[in-house]
Amino acid sequence: MNMNVSTTGQVIGVTSAEKPPIVSLVNVSKTYVRGKLVALTDVSFDVGHGEFVVILGPSGAGKSTMLRCINRLAEPTGGQIFLRGNEITNAPRSLRKARQEIGMVFQQFNLVTRLSVMMNVLSGRLSYRSTWRSLFYSFTREDRAIALECLEMVALGHKAFQRADTLSGGEQQRVAIARALAQKPKLILADEPVASLDPKIARQVLDYLKDVSQRLGISVICNLHQIDFAREYAERVIGLSQGKLIFDGPPGALTDDILNQIYGSRMESAVE
Amino acid sequence: MPRITGLAVQPRLSLGGRAKFLAYLAGGAAFLAWSANALELSGGELFRSLPVIGRYLGRMIPPDWSALDGLWGPTLDTICIALWGTVIASAIGLPLGILAAKNLNSSRILRSSALTILNVLRSVSELIWAIFFVSAVGLGPFPGALALGVNFGGILGRLYAEAIENVDPKPLEALRATGANRVQTILFAVMPQVLPQIVSYNLYWFEVGVRSATVLGMIGAGGIGFELVTTIRLYDFRQTSAILLVILGLVTLIDQASALLRSSIVK
Amino acid sequence: MSSQYAAAVDQGLAREASWRHRRMAVRLLVMAGFAIVLWLSASRIHLSLMNIILGVPNMADFFGRMVPPDFSNLMSLAPPTIETVQIAAWGTVIAVVASAPLALLAAHNTSPHPVIYFVTRLFLNLLRSINELIYALLLVSAVGLGPFPGVLAIALHATGMLAKFVAEEIEHVNRGPVEALQAAGAGRMQIILFGIMPQVLPAVVGYILYRFDVSIRSATVLGLVGAGGLGFALITSMKMFKYHETATCILVIILLIWAADAISSHLQKKIL
Repeated sequence: MNMNVSTTGQVIGVTSAEKPPIVSLVNVSKTYVRGKLVALTDVSFDVGHGEFVVILGPSGAGKSTMLRCINRLAEPTGGQIFLRGNEITNAPRSLRKARQEIGMVFQQFNLVTRLSVMMNVLSGRLSYRSTWRSLFYSFTREDRAIALECLEMVALGHKAFQRADTLSGGEQQRVAIARALAQKPKLILADEPVASLDPKIARQVLDYLKDVSQRLGISVICNLHQIDFAREYAERVIGLSQGKLIFDGPPGALTDDILNQIYGSRMESAVE
Repeated sequence: MPRITGLAVQPRLSLGGRAKFLAYLAGGAAFLAWSANALELSGGELFRSLPVIGRYLGRMIPPDWSALDGLWGPTLDTICIALWGTVIASAIGLPLGILAAKNLNSSRILRSSALTILNVLRSVSELIWAIFFVSAVGLGPFPGALALGVNFGGILGRLYAEAIENVDPKPLEALRATGANRVQTILFAVMPQVLPQIVSYNLYWFEVGVRSATVLGMIGAGGIGFELVTTIRLYDFRQTSAILLVILGLVTLIDQASALLRSSIVK
Repeated sequence: MSSQYAAAVDQGLAREASWRHRRMAVRLLVMAGFAIVLWLSASRIHLSLMNIILGVPNMADFFGRMVPPDFSNLMSLAPPTIETVQIAAWGTVIAVVASAPLALLAAHNTSPHPVIYFVTRLFLNLLRSINELIYALLLVSAVGLGPFPGVLAIALHATGMLAKFVAEEIEHVNRGPVEALQAAGAGRMQIILFGIMPQVLPAVVGYILYRFDVSIRSATVLGLVGAGGLGFALITSMKMFKYHETATCILVIILLIWAADAISSHLQKKIL
């Protein structure tokens, strides 16, 4: 049995036979160009219910690739990935269901700028709706209530009917978080969610992310390259360097030695 | 040409590049010279025909405005032909354009089939299509609209496909990550991005359609073209010029309206 | 669903409903208006699906008479094909020569007098609004059959289109280089040659290539009124009821336009 303990002594992320981890990576590898380009090598770890995990590493370390393997935006070339105990790596039919349970937040927000904030968040509900209904851009009342609630959670309910491109960067990322929340996910993947934002706004966004994770019990795997953000927000840090997992533990255990291993010569880019 | 810094001057080609450019130019000039000979074009021919054309123009002035009586109907027909032509073209072009777009369709066979159909549709002139449709449904403006629809369908389809391929891919990725299926992704991530462009294209080609529709009358496919050709065949050139001026007015009006609508779409 | 946000959500739902209903009402009104216009024009031109279906046997008959295409005298189509290209080439060349002065007169910033600007624009509109085929018809009446009226017909229409395009490019030119030249004391012609022309050249050359492509397409049908080229071969074969040859003509036309498109877009990409 694996127990992860947060800095306040709260037990979180208990993995055991009764409660499978939310996501499990077993020896996941990813190569490109018929094996010539190696992005990931034998990455294995579990993430438990409600855990906030930060993946730390310089750019090019494979953080993005690994995240995309989890919701199969990229296909791993080796290994297996389990979602709540069910294998999703070679199962094409359950893809939609799997993605429904995994929300994703992107570095550049990836909103549809011409649509309203509300419509953007509603598009998180699409996996629950039939194609026919979507042809008319129609959603149920329940969908709209969920969308508004998610917007309230990121304090943007009052901007629901504005066009998405009228919002600032930080606000757009919060809308993206609301869109992910609208899926009612068990897991949220955040790929460098604050890399395009200045530090004060970045902290705001990370605050929201951490807050919804704790309140709703959603596990979060967050890619970051900024060490101090990792220290501030992570309950658990996984260090990735050149496609290999070289550290897995609480942020307090991040010694300079280990950071050097992760970043090599690129320390400056990590300290902002 | 002297090189002036700080101004917009073309980049200088390398020696090899310049040689190639001159070779193309020489080749083109040779082709033109040969063509002029083959087509019996010459400055002399032009000069000799100028007085003939001048006399012709003289027979068209002043315009006989009596031609305008009974022109209202055919004018309306022409507009209807262009309107339905554009609508049919959109209906044909949109599905084919979606199938032909690289970022929406990974099946190469499907894409190239769609593209081939679109190419055939646009390569066959609308006049030939009109002849084909006249044989099918008879004379009148109806085959004109069908011909326009089919021909413009090919043109619009290709333009749509291009617009779709130039769409920002990031929202597409995000929507797929939420578990939306292909159709939903197209509806929510692609359509909002290309809609203004599609409307703009439709308005522009509607305008082109009006001009084309004026010609379709020549083969009996309705509209002002028929009246025009009749006046030419009856040597009633003063009426011809009157009708030409009406066409000018119509096209200018629609041109302005179209430009106005298009600029308001760019929000 | 937490009750913390219930009030805000309900309020939001009410607002959203009224916003959505308003937008839908407007959209339905516009669509209804459009539908009425379409329906009226459909009945005016006797457009009906029934007639299309009834006409299918005729279309099938048409096709049947054309297929299989008669390839035996393919080579005899070579001269008309070349003639078509030649007509398009010379038509475009004349248009380029004529457009240069006209475009300068039709642009705000280079026109010597607003009246000249206005008159030129009107003249160009006149040239543009009349289809090449109508010009061809009139010119054939005037100077007789053959490729010569075809060349003039293409030249007239293309001049209208090209001159308007160049005039608009000239009006959108960057003022900077122009002012620099003015400050250096350059004369009017010099300003045009060194300040304006280099800026508009790439777009204009691209448009000339596009125009040449369109001219080839128009030139193929000019023969229908006796102005030479493949259209003439086509209409001749139709009048002699040799529909298999008509099919060959159509195929050659398709191939020619394909080739012209490919070359034209290839060249356009090279200069951009």
